Amino acid sequence: MTPILEIKKLFKSFGGLEALKDITFDIKRGEIIGLIGPNGAGKTTLFNCVAGIEKPTGGQIILTNGGRTTSIGGKKPEAVTGLGIARTFQNIRLFDNLTVIDNVKIGRHCRTRSIFFGAVVRNRFQRAEEKGITESAHQFLDFVGLKDRGEEIASSMPYGDQRRLEIARALATEPHLLMLDEPAAGMNPQESRDLMALIRRIRDKDITILLIEHDMKVVMGVCERVVVINHGEWLTEGEPQEVQNNPKVIEAYLGTGAANAA
Amino acid sequence: MGKLRLQDLTRGGKIRIGLLALALILPFLPFVTDYVLHIAILVLLYMILSLGLNIVPGFNGLLDLGYVGFYGIGAYTSGLLTYHFGLSFWVIIPLAFINGAIWGILLGAPTLRLTGDYFAIVTFGFSELVVLLLTNEIWLTRGPLGLPGIDVVSIDLTLFGGPKWEFIGELPYYYLAIVMVLVTVFVMYRIQDSRLGRAWFAIRDDEVAAVSCGINLLAYKVIAFAISAAFGAVGGSFFARWVTFLSPDMFKFWESFLILCMIVLGGMGNIWGVMIGAVVLVSLSEVLREILPVLGLPVQVRFLAFGLIMVLMMRFRPAGIMPIPAVAAKMRAGRVKRKKVKPAVGIKK
Repeated sequence: MTPILEIKKLFKSFGGLEALKDITFDIKRGEIIGLIGPNGAGKTTLFNCVAGIEKPTGGQIILTNGGRTTSIGGKKPEAVTGLGIARTFQNIRLFDNLTVIDNVKIGRHCRTRSIFFGAVVRNRFQRAEEKGITESAHQFLDFVGLKDRGEEIASSMPYGDQRRLEIARALATEPHLLMLDEPAAGMNPQESRDLMALIRRIRDKDITILLIEHDMKVVMGVCERVVVINHGEWLTEGEPQEVQNNPKVIEAYLGTGAANAA
Repeated sequence: MGKLRLQDLTRGGKIRIGLLALALILPFLPFVTDYVLHIAILVLLYMILSLGLNIVPGFNGLLDLGYVGFYGIGAYTSGLLTYHFGLSFWVIIPLAFINGAIWGILLGAPTLRLTGDYFAIVTFGFSELVVLLLTNEIWLTRGPLGLPGIDVVSIDLTLFGGPKWEFIGELPYYYLAIVMVLVTVFVMYRIQDSRLGRAWFAIRDDEVAAVSCGINLLAYKVIAFAISAAFGAVGGSFFARWVTFLSPDMFKFWESFLILCMIVLGGMGNIWGVMIGAVVLVSLSEVLREILPVLGLPVQVRFLAFGLIMVLMMRFRPAGIMPIPAVAAKMRAGRVKRKKVKPAVGIKK
């Protein structure tokens, strides 16, 4: 089976700083894959390149989805979302002044069409579309466990709920690949466990998940495969246990002495 | 649809109907002279203009200092079409809307890639350009001499063997303006509660997140700018047919600033707030015009007074008289917790 996403020889530099150097790995359809590495390894830069926020300086990112293969390296972020890749952000980015339900409704933007005329005239097409938006937005809220919270203002919710809302909004774009950037950051153990359960339920809906995470309990608990990068370079990949015991990985995180001691 | 009964209405609905009823009977109240009615029409006109401008800073978070340019274009287009071709006002209104939108797209498409202050500077330049054009293209606009003798609005039914009724005096214009404000508010409410409105609010709150939801920033900003400009042009064409005289210095930068002040004062992004802002500033301007000479001060001092009001607002109520619900909720929460609240809606830097 072809992988859903192939990253081939990806380079990204900011002026003289090479943030990504020759990164190559595949994401298989339906897996939960973790992307780990020390701070500044280039994880978020890689996310941004895939999501279209940053333009890669070299290499290819190839999305195979529904029998169609598209090269998405350098495509605009709204186009990437339309092709079925959604993401959340390391530091939560919600629409702070809007209600919870409106946040999720905005996620439906790329799957709907009405603009000015529909908004003013409210013809049959627009009414049906708006009804669909509202219904599916409620379903997504329900799915992440925020049922009946739709009328709250997004920024007034507790931190953990904001993370869930961000995931609901990403799901509303109907992605095939969902990229989560440190979803467990700042969560207590109970919230992390709930999050892991949620991630598994998302995967059961046939959505592939790429996860950046520092919380090793979450990575070990939920990921089926882990890719490690360090200083912008691919270090190793494999099952969580074997990666965890890999001396190169321990060295990257803790330094040479630690690797020898292990 | 059941029967509409008064007791079924919410408090907000009752207030709205009450205000509308008050507006409708206003001309027949004892103290209302032609002068007061003139000011009332001015208030309504500025409501249309500030509602139109509100789309750009209020809904999209972009600072627009050149709104009066579209107002001027609308006014002169309407004036010239009437002057040369005798077009009916009812034909001009949709034309003005489309014309305004076209100019909005022409200016917006290349410049909306700019962010924050740079965009504001370009729009400022645009409005100055419009004034220069109106002043110097004498063959078209008669320049500083102004464009006099524009026909009044009329309802012409002679084609169907009916009468022709010309709008003379302030009264018909007052009701015409009320209808135009109602239509504008209706359109704004519908947009606010639609996919288009939500996309704009998303852009206002977080551009990166908006893009990640599949919103094409440039396209939606251009749409916003076009619709905003269209309402400016419609306001302008009403103005032309109401005062029946145009001159370039009616469209100076000061007007843009005044309309922007209405939005900031009333509550950026809030439809009701913006209308309140228009009422407050237009009436205040007229009151000051009367009071200042009595105090022995020149009339221009009212600009200083506006400046003072804006400073005080920024200090004590930066989100405006009537902020958008989320900001109002935060302010209430802040008051309870004794925390300082930053205005959540503002111009993006």
